[in-house]
Amino acid sequence: MKKFIAMILALVMVFALCACGNNGDGNDTKKEAGVVTADDLKEGFTLKVGFDPEFPPFGYLAADGSYDGFDLALAKEVCNRLGWGFEAVPINWDAKTEELKAGNVNCLWNGFTYTGREDQFTWSDPYYENEIVMVVKADSGITSFADLAGKKVMAQADSSAVTALNRSKLKDTIGEVVELGDYQMGFMELDQGSVDAVAVDIGVAISQMNKTGNEDAYVILNEKLSPEQYAIGFLLGNEALRDAVSAELKNMADDGTMLKIAQSSDYVQQGLVVDSLCMISK
Amino acid sequence: MTLQTILSELTRCFGTTFSLFLLTLVGSLPLGLLIALGRMSKNGLVSGITRIYISIMRGTPLMLQLWIVFFGLPKLLPDIVTGNWRYIAAVIAFVINYAAYFAEIYRSGIESIPRGQYEAADVLGYGKVQTFFKIILPQVIKIVLPSITNEVITLVKDTSLCYAIGVVEMFTRAKQIATLNGTLTSFVVAGVIYYIFNYVVDWVMLRFEKKLSYYKA
Repeated sequence: MKKFIAMILALVMVFALCACGNNGDGNDTKKEAGVVTADDLKEGFTLKVGFDPEFPPFGYLAADGSYDGFDLALAKEVCNRLGWGFEAVPINWDAKTEELKAGNVNCLWNGFTYTGREDQFTWSDPYYENEIVMVVKADSGITSFADLAGKKVMAQADSSAVTALNRSKLKDTIGEVVELGDYQMGFMELDQGSVDAVAVDIGVAISQMNKTGNEDAYVILNEKLSPEQYAIGFLLGNEALRDAVSAELKNMADDGTMLKIAQSSDYVQQGLVVDSLCMISK
Repeated sequence: MTLQTILSELTRCFGTTFSLFLLTLVGSLPLGLLIALGRMSKNGLVSGITRIYISIMRGTPLMLQLWIVFFGLPKLLPDIVTGNWRYIAAVIAFVINYAAYFAEIYRSGIESIPRGQYEAADVLGYGKVQTFFKIILPQVIKIVLPSITNEVITLVKDTSLCYAIGVVEMFTRAKQIATLNGTLTSFVVAGVIYYIFNYVVDWVMLRFEKKLSYYKA
């Protein structure tokens, strides 16, 4: 018994030590790992863009084995114009905040929803208007939000679809929110019937439905969850970097480059909705 | 993506899986022995610490350990982060995790050697270190080999957990291809590659076992 208690105490000490280490570190260093000062932003700076390679059309693996996507193309162009290096860093989207804090990436740019996360990151101006829609199987008999009562709804873990679901009135009536790592899994579950609906960004929904080659098997419900906007997320306090990227992106919206990139058939086929670009004055 | 591109993409990324596998074995097999010796030490402090170590490593999920090494270690040692940190963190996490399992396998082997072997070695004038490496360890290796094979095969499959910290090994790539294609083909191909590799591992380990069974007719 004595030995057992001694061991527990030793364990507690180990954890306490770890905790101390962390706190001390946080207090000592004022400058966080990922913050970039204006001085760093000269030629030769490398923009490390964190993205989810399973989120077309914004970031995905292209047929030739390279990473592509609308957002990556925008980021690359911004870097070209500013004389910066560009690096696309595929990350586990569940760990995006940690990746940003650790400085492994210096922005999150991948169909990243700004609405509802205003305080958690330093944001660029929004550039894309997104809607979270509900996809069901055509033969399921579900035609409205009311029919979803008691049903299982899939959404990507830690995504804006989960946030939108939680904020909507639907939350009280649906049976369960099933959170999975990516939408490919979600649509497979929808096919086999282990979930009844998928709450998903409209672009991703179109892309997934196109891929099955059998679009008629699915229906997007007319009712939508709250509209939201995409922007580029930077670590809190990273205003210098944000200002530089945001200004250049605005230039690209004004001189038509953004529209040109968006109209690329690759992205449109993958579900990009050109009308959703909200930085371009119409 | 055609089947051919899928195959070439996955075999290319299998390189990462394989190097991760190899480095983990190279690191954890000797480290495990060291921990096993510590665990059996008469020094209470050493055996206590290694016991806690093994208990934590076996008692928490590997995915959690990957996260803690990848995101936690740089908080204590900020200079550790280099361009390749993602991959290095995965190797470190796998090595320290598998060393704990190997340590317990070694311990079971070492403790199964009869007292008489030590006494006989003593009578023949062998020193302590000599006894361990020349008399005990060769017998231990024979005993523990099947259990080691078990862990090694598990390791091949565990490498897929690396997706949690964004290491693009074969399974992560298979997932990305599945998103691109909207089919399960890439998963099936990845499964076949895992199986073939484990078949080879099994065959190699069996050869070792046969080679070491020199006392059996």
